[in-house]
Amino acid sequence: MADVEMKPADEKVEEKQEGKEVPTSPPSPVAEIKSNITLIDRAVSTLEPRFTHRVLRTLTALRKRLNEQILRESISEVYPPDSSVKSSLLSLLPDADISETMDIDSTVPPAAKPPSDPVPEAEIYFRLLIIHHLLTSPSNYGKAQDLANSTVQKMQALNRRSLDPIAAKVWFAVERTYELAGELSDARPLYLAAQRTASLRHDDETQAALINRLLRSYLHYSLYDQADKLVSKTTFPASAPNPQYARYHYYLGRIKAVQLNYTEAHTHLQQAIRRAPAPKVAPGFYQAVHKLFVVVELLMGDIPERSLFRHPVLEKALSGYFDIVKAVRTGSLSNFQHTLSKHAAVFEADKTYSLIVRLRQNVIKTGIRRLSLSYSRISLRDICVKLHLDSEEDAEYIVGKAIRDGVIEGRIVHEKGWMECGGQKTGDGPEVGEMFARRIGYCLELHNESVKAMRYPLNAHRKELADAEGAREREKELAKEIQEGDLDDDDSGLGDF
Amino acid sequence: MSSQLPNLHKELIRAFTSHPSDLAATGKLLARLKIVLIDTDLLFPQPSSNPKELVVARDILEIGAFWSIRTRDVPSFDRYFSQLQTFYNDFNSVLPPSEREYPIRGLNLIRLLIQNRIADFHTTLESLPLPADELLNNPFIKHPVNLERWLMEGSYSKVWNAREEAPAEEYKFFVDSLMGTIRNEIASCEEAAYESLPLKDAATLLFFKTQSELLAFAKQRDWQVNLTQETITFTHKSEEKMEIPKDKLIANNLAYARELEQIV
Repeated sequence: MADVEMKPADEKVEEKQEGKEVPTSPPSPVAEIKSNITLIDRAVSTLEPRFTHRVLRTLTALRKRLNEQILRESISEVYPPDSSVKSSLLSLLPDADISETMDIDSTVPPAAKPPSDPVPEAEIYFRLLIIHHLLTSPSNYGKAQDLANSTVQKMQALNRRSLDPIAAKVWFAVERTYELAGELSDARPLYLAAQRTASLRHDDETQAALINRLLRSYLHYSLYDQADKLVSKTTFPASAPNPQYARYHYYLGRIKAVQLNYTEAHTHLQQAIRRAPAPKVAPGFYQAVHKLFVVVELLMGDIPERSLFRHPVLEKALSGYFDIVKAVRTGSLSNFQHTLSKHAAVFEADKTYSLIVRLRQNVIKTGIRRLSLSYSRISLRDICVKLHLDSEEDAEYIVGKAIRDGVIEGRIVHEKGWMECGGQKTGDGPEVGEMFARRIGYCLELHNESVKAMRYPLNAHRKELADAEGAREREKELAKEIQEGDLDDDDSGLGDF
Repeated sequence: MSSQLPNLHKELIRAFTSHPSDLAATGKLLARLKIVLIDTDLLFPQPSSNPKELVVARDILEIGAFWSIRTRDVPSFDRYFSQLQTFYNDFNSVLPPSEREYPIRGLNLIRLLIQNRIADFHTTLESLPLPADELLNNPFIKHPVNLERWLMEGSYSKVWNAREEAPAEEYKFFVDSLMGTIRNEIASCEEAAYESLPLKDAATLLFFKTQSELLAFAKQRDWQVNLTQETITFTHKSEEKMEIPKDKLIANNLAYARELEQIV
């Protein structure tokens, strides 16, 4: 079920930068596809993957406006009339009114006829568009799957590095076709083989996309063991694009949360939130991450910020979680159980149910902590009543455990049957320093990452070099002048020039 | 060779289900059957295998798992369980469900719990092919799940009381080691939570019936027992002197200096 809610997220992640890229009045889809093909062509000829990225950024918006007519038209315009690739691409489209296509064929090509077939990357790009188009109607799922498989084969046969960014997107499309056909697990061998090839070829983008595909597929079937092994056996490419990173962190967060490693889960989820696109653009992903984030934060013993639940995107989606937070905060077991059963279906759908069940002990701990803060001495009987525990005996064990785990400071006096609460721990000592060091480390890393992420246009430094050369020249002249004209001054320092 | 399989299988069932079951004979038969299974390629099932034969193979492995528990051979149970996982997870669409599946899965959960592998316990629990709210309706799964919850909460008396409510005969084999786990847990809690404790109360808290058992346990954990006053005093380690982590501070500061150098 989690997939249903992830779907919008997956789709939306790519939309990120679109707001800036697409002009206010977008060109017609055909024109856009044509300009995209030109960009791909340029990317291949200049070996600059940046152009391909620009093309792919418009993919999501373009996808929604596609129809057969547009695809047909653009394919015919891009390819020369007698091209074999063109006929094969056209045959992939669902059957439509043939006379209409003939019409386009006869009118358009002479106007804008490229001299020869464009690069193979363009063909793969068209195939990608066609897959996405086929996926819009359920009757074409089978066809889309065939096409996806043949496209994968073609990509692997071509083996071109300039194809990599598009290939990564094709893998996403492959996953969608398998998922919509309900055979998500069947695609796994395919991914595994491709992942191996991709890592051998240092094809970072495909690798990143595939690792995410695999993780998703494992987590969909709750195979946390396998997912964990995959993570430990692979290294996620550092140059992967942000949306892939966000997903990767989200999956890691889920694995770690299940393994009770909440601190790490928390770090990963935080990274996922930071790297995720703006909430308005990708609400699905944002909500999914936050749901898990709230639960993990609670499991760590923290209470999430109230403002989180007022966020316009999250408010509705997190309402069930908000109730849980309230129950945990007040430390009331009965309230917690009630909320849990009330929202069970929601949590089950989000796959967070079992995590939330684990919160029970946190509820108790919070309750004890509150009691220890407000009383300096309290009888076990009262603890039992206040926390709705079953017996005094239980209360004694529970309090004992809380003291051992460092939740509260205190002593149990068994003979008198009460708990004496000591003062709260004061927050100083090495912990503060460690916390500070962690934060500084984060800031430094952020700085280094942003320095690394800066782009420099090719050969731009030449100009600067020339400028510097000129400046030095001028300086020399100046020095000369000074030397010649102003001999009175004893400027031995300048004499070196 | 495969003609041997049905006969041996029948023999195995007879040896296993007889009262009391013949553990030695079962063990011998299992060893022979495993060789037969390897010969017929059933130990590691392939998609092409005959489903009927696979059911027999699964049955043998399940008996093997139970047998390991009865002979208290936990590593052997572990091996049988990992072999069975293929049958349970990958062939669940081909094979009819086995009635022993959940008892065995439950036993595996308890095993993880006793070995204190809580992370593995939760991972295994997540990957059970059941929706989360049905977990508590399945008696075999409910038992370990409840045990884990009580252990985490600290409701040790509930664990103690639940030891007789095992849903299957085999679960009781784990009770002893479970009690050992609990006692150690309780003991460490007591060390932190009490200054001293009367011997009588300590015995009830730790579920000891006789004082001599308690004294042996106290010795093992290095507690000071005062026999005249009948109390146990716990030594506290909390008054340790706090050291300033010099090395760490120096290393951190040097690292900052280097990074700042790079930035400026």
